Amino acid sequence: MGFFEFVFTVEFFFSIIRITAPIIFATLAAIICQKGGVSNIGLEGTMMMSALFGSLFAYYSGSWIVGVLVAIITGIIVSLGIAFFAFNLRTNIILAGTAVNMIGSGGTIFLVKVITGMTEGNQLTSTNGLISTRLQIPVINIPILKDIPLIGGVLSGHSLLTYLAFVLVFLTWALLYKTPIGLNIRSVGENPNAASSVGVSVIKIKYTVLIIGGILAGLGGAFMSMYYSMGWSQDMVAGRGFIALAATAMGGGEPLGGLLAALIFGFAQALSIKASAVGIDSNLVSPIPYLVTIIGLVVFAIVAREKAKKPHKVKESA
Amino acid sequence: MNKKRALTFSITRTVAAIFIAILVATLLIFVSSKGNTVGAKFSETLVALRAMLIGPLFRNNGSFNTKGFLEILALMVPIMLTGLATTVMFSANQFNLGSEGGIMFGAFITALIAIYTPLPPVILPIVSILGGSFATMLLLMVPAVLKAKLGVSEMVNSLMINYIVMYIINFLLNTRFMDRTKGQVQTLNFQEHALLPQLVGRGTKLSLGLVIALVVVAIVATVMYRTRWGYNIRMIGQNEDFSKYSGINVPFYIILAQGLGGFLAGMGGSLEMLGRYTAYDWKSLPGYGWTGVTVAILAGNNPAYVPLAAFFMAYLDKGCEMMSTYSSVPAQLIDIIQAVIFLFFAADNFLAGYRQKLVIKSAEEDAKAANEVQVEGGK
Repeated sequence: MGFFEFVFTVEFFFSIIRITAPIIFATLAAIICQKGGVSNIGLEGTMMMSALFGSLFAYYSGSWIVGVLVAIITGIIVSLGIAFFAFNLRTNIILAGTAVNMIGSGGTIFLVKVITGMTEGNQLTSTNGLISTRLQIPVINIPILKDIPLIGGVLSGHSLLTYLAFVLVFLTWALLYKTPIGLNIRSVGENPNAASSVGVSVIKIKYTVLIIGGILAGLGGAFMSMYYSMGWSQDMVAGRGFIALAATAMGGGEPLGGLLAALIFGFAQALSIKASAVGIDSNLVSPIPYLVTIIGLVVFAIVAREKAKKPHKVKESA
Repeated sequence: MNKKRALTFSITRTVAAIFIAILVATLLIFVSSKGNTVGAKFSETLVALRAMLIGPLFRNNGSFNTKGFLEILALMVPIMLTGLATTVMFSANQFNLGSEGGIMFGAFITALIAIYTPLPPVILPIVSILGGSFATMLLLMVPAVLKAKLGVSEMVNSLMINYIVMYIINFLLNTRFMDRTKGQVQTLNFQEHALLPQLVGRGTKLSLGLVIALVVVAIVATVMYRTRWGYNIRMIGQNEDFSKYSGINVPFYIILAQGLGGFLAGMGGSLEMLGRYTAYDWKSLPGYGWTGVTVAILAGNNPAYVPLAAFFMAYLDKGCEMMSTYSSVPAQLIDIIQAVIFLFFAADNFLAGYRQKLVIKSAEEDAKAANEVQVEGGK
């Protein structure tokens, strides 16, 4: 079996989609926030908290729907917190986001220990095992499509939220470019003074984008703890909230571009998982996605710079 | 507003932020403490609070807890340096969050030098520390150069670098540098003469590192407030456009600030290794970088206040550890307390009404004084 036949299997492409989905949620959140002129670096922590509360409530209520809803509500509450500190108390938004990330990494461990009564004895604190297949976000087999060879195996059989992630790319685009509120969001992001001079409430729009971001991050968190893994564990989001910021920059701040950037990341991670399956040290392949992110940002910056140079040259020659 | 009022305000603000954080902590402790009745929960809360707030310095019988105090001092060393690193980078408005990976990188490089280079005493620890510091300087200059030359967000890149550093170090540790005679994953022991001398015995691990760290604080404070470099770095942080038009080489100082930050973060790892460890065994990011961000915020980005802020954070850390020993409350409470203090401290509008009152009071007094002068002049 050749290298390509080994790597590029149906399962491999299936896993790319699976891995990309949570990054899409986070990236869309980052894009909406950025369009509204808010740099939300607290997505990482927001997803951690949503993942935790989503999985816990799913377990206690016995229903995945409750879990997903609670994850979304958690995302909204956390984002409202960021908004309150950033806009009402004027904390630097990057610091507000950092505080949320602190709570997301250490505070969640505190909460898990308190809520579930687990102690230091259980070395790796997690809610793994609480989410059974019954509580997992359901998988959907798309009729007709699933019977098509190859394509069916790649595209069918994903979770409800996976499909939602891809649908949301287009919904986000439509929200930003086809609705009045999208126009307001973009105007606030581009020139808050101009927007406020025509009667747009800048602070309301900024609250709105953070709330939408919170909903999306909440979905991402739910995906992580209720489908991607069977429960919450320490640092499970593993930088996806940060990678989303990179994907936003790589994708030029547009939903479709963000989707492509997220797919590149998903590809890199799927490849690294594959590599560790062949016995290559996982510590050597795990950093690949992060490295790809840096390279992607650099390439994007160089391309953007070349683009910016071009019209200038034309003027000179004319 | 005169100096005295400004001081009154910043002290009030500090106390208020800490008070709110402790209030939040008390609520969380109350909720999480074990007990079937409100009374039982309440007494458990008191035990936990006592352990957290007073425990680090005073034993249950009221005597001074020397060991606890020395441990706090030892704990200050790494967070003082990551705090300084963050201070310098934030002063230039560079949100480089790489001191987390930086301190791990510095620690690892220092460890390798301390294990493998055949150098005489005194020289070896110096070379190890400087090696770790300079290596980390180069590491954190990567996002700096990308920012200065290409305008790529230093924040995202530095965060990515944290993860990359962690995995690569783990890879090297597992494959090349592991001491296979030991039961756990760690390097060979450092050469005996690489270790920093301990200031006091009794296993508190308080080393010469503390003195070095304090000297570094003094140097950084001087550089930031008494030299052209420091002035230009702070100027860029205040207003980058203004700096550019007044002829400051902005890209150079953006890189310098982050290089300096990297150097300091790396040194934190170096001092930590040679002061408190005998072999390198960190397998995940140590968290000192994030505490360093809190320290920098508490110190108002002023290097001179970093030791005080670091002492406070080290005290809280030790307090939370004591609390989890004496009660059922998990030690990770510190992350929530830290975040709350952090949020209120960095909030410009927190107690803005009170500041406004003070400003008006000062203005009224000034006006009154001016009036009196006028009246006297009219005689």
